[in-house]
Amino acid sequence: LTVFGRAIHAIARISDEFWFDPIEKGLALRSVNSSRSAYAYVFFSSMFFQHYCWTAVSEPHQKEKQLSLPCKLIIKSVLPVFRCVNVLERNVEKCSISTNPNDHHITFQLLCRHGVVKTYNLTFQDCDPLQAVFAKHMCPNILKVHSRLLADVMIHFPTSQEEITLSVTPMKVCFKSYTEEDTDFSRTMLTEIQLSPEEFDYFQVGVDSEVTFCLKELRGLLAFSEATSVPVSIHFDRCGKPIAFSIEDLLLEASFILATLCEAEKEAASPEPACCPQPWDSNADTAPSKYPQWNGNTPSKDLANPTSALAKQEVKSIPRLTERDVPGRAGAAMAEAAGGEATEAPYQKIRYHVASYLYKYCVFQFHSLFFGAVSYKEKEAIGDTFQSLATASDTEEDFGALQSSQV
Amino acid sequence: MRFRAKIVDLACLNHFSRIINTIAKLAKTCVLRLTVSKLYFIVSDKVANGGASMWCELCQGNFFDEFQMEGVAAEHNEIYLELVPENLSRALKTAQSAKAVKIKLTNKHCPCLRVAVELPSLSSSSRIVTHDIPVGVIPRRMWNDFREPSVPDFDVSIYLPVLKTMKSVVERMKNLSNFIVIEANLSGDMNLKIETDLVSVTTHFKDLGNPPWASEDGCQSSAQSRDLESMAEARIDIKKLQQLLAGQQVNPTKALCNIVTKRIVHFILLHEEVSLQYFIPAIA
Repeated sequence: LTVFGRAIHAIARISDEFWFDPIEKGLALRSVNSSRSAYAYVFFSSMFFQHYCWTAVSEPHQKEKQLSLPCKLIIKSVLPVFRCVNVLERNVEKCSISTNPNDHHITFQLLCRHGVVKTYNLTFQDCDPLQAVFAKHMCPNILKVHSRLLADVMIHFPTSQEEITLSVTPMKVCFKSYTEEDTDFSRTMLTEIQLSPEEFDYFQVGVDSEVTFCLKELRGLLAFSEATSVPVSIHFDRCGKPIAFSIEDLLLEASFILATLCEAEKEAASPEPACCPQPWDSNADTAPSKYPQWNGNTPSKDLANPTSALAKQEVKSIPRLTERDVPGRAGAAMAEAAGGEATEAPYQKIRYHVASYLYKYCVFQFHSLFFGAVSYKEKEAIGDTFQSLATASDTEEDFGALQSSQV
Repeated sequence: MRFRAKIVDLACLNHFSRIINTIAKLAKTCVLRLTVSKLYFIVSDKVANGGASMWCELCQGNFFDEFQMEGVAAEHNEIYLELVPENLSRALKTAQSAKAVKIKLTNKHCPCLRVAVELPSLSSSSRIVTHDIPVGVIPRRMWNDFREPSVPDFDVSIYLPVLKTMKSVVERMKNLSNFIVIEANLSGDMNLKIETDLVSVTTHFKDLGNPPWASEDGCQSSAQSRDLESMAEARIDIKKLQQLLAGQQVNPTKALCNIVTKRIVHFILLHEEVSLQYFIPAIA
């Protein structure tokens, strides 16, 4: 439960809303920040949960089998459920999540000690999720390290530090505060940490590079990975290309993909600090914004970039994802050639692929998934309670927006 | 102008960090004066500080294993730097387990104090964290602004009560009023008073003791002829007092204050290796 709560917190750092996307193999949570410069993806396999039940019912006459019901939730409503993750671990015996697609509700139910049951009913919106396209295996630079080390490194930077630069050569790794040409050095304190390659579990540097990314968004992932104690892998390339921080083990996977600043195009950058979410303007083709443009593959979307012709072409060549056959890889199924896009926008685009599901043609019944703070040994005992709870939540009346019921 | 110093001993490092933390709580910017044997942290009584001023003095030999400096000129072998103590505090905060800390004056883009912390790591080579703290070099013609303040001609000098107690009293009073009156007499009594339209609160301390001041040139003789019971009082900004007390992380060996009625309160906090003086002017 701690792990799940921390995942929610980590995603909360990216954006105010996230996609809640149950599929057969597990539960995927995704989030994109408003300037499309950061993308978070957490996938919990069904084995992570004590009980995971997912049913898809599709109308027979539809050609494309709808596989999931992606929905969008406001983080602020979900966050209180998992607010005090440490306290949760002690008090909550079980947490169940169930969805009712007919009236667009998700129910989070926390069964706590002493018979206290907290129920949260949240509305969601149906929408198409985004999926970032990022070829991890094409990255020349890969570092793998325990999250403790990264946390120890980040602790030296002030919490207000927006962006940091990671600079690697085969001989050393260096994290430092980001500076630009017009930084006022007489006012800013700069911090730099040098590590030797030996400190990393895996160290591969194919190309010397210096990438700058937003630290704030990363801190969420670091807290999450500390809860899971899974090592963090960092995949990146030259500046301008996105950097991916990911963790992976049998039960779950997470990827945070952040855009990086490209040095050459600094003059085109807007004066605001890089990590302020900028209003998404799909028609802004005059001033190239600092952040990657979203290439939706719906033709009606304007691609803000003047080289949109090229972009459109590339996007169309991606086979549409109707089956998530590689649920774990955040878009690694597509290998993208970089193209000449870097000249236009300072940030190399994180390319997004919209999986437009024809969800409205299918009806889903996603029963419920259980996971508890206790060990998996109690699976048998839970089986009985599951049944009764499942029916209860299905037949319960609508509680209304947000209500916790306390005994 | 050159300066290099190194701390290797963890206890010294922690002590030094604590001193910096205390100073960071008292002022946003301060002046660091370096001489061959001592370091001084100075806050002058400009209007920006609300008229409060601070003088903190420590012997470099008690903290640094290596200490080399060259001042602006041979006959003025001192360096005056203006810096933000909070930056220094932050740089040292994560050096709790450091193998060594080196401080150096550099001038890459602008004058900086470069604090390099060598941290132990799992691999054979250490981790090095470098913080560049921007500083301003104060030209010699302005050094006069930062002379050591003289002890004022006080009316009463008294030892302070246990700082922790005093701190919690002042903190509660801070919620009620912006000003506090400190009054004390030569019989070891001290009162802290606040007065608002709705309420007035007084906390009494007794048997605090009065420090003996050697009378030089008879300048303190007026104090000796003073009535033992009569109170000297001054009304000061409560925030300043609270900052001073909150910043104290270790109990000082000696803590006392000198009150000049309606003019100024002069606090002296002495530790083994560092002395801190803080002047808070009285408000009418």
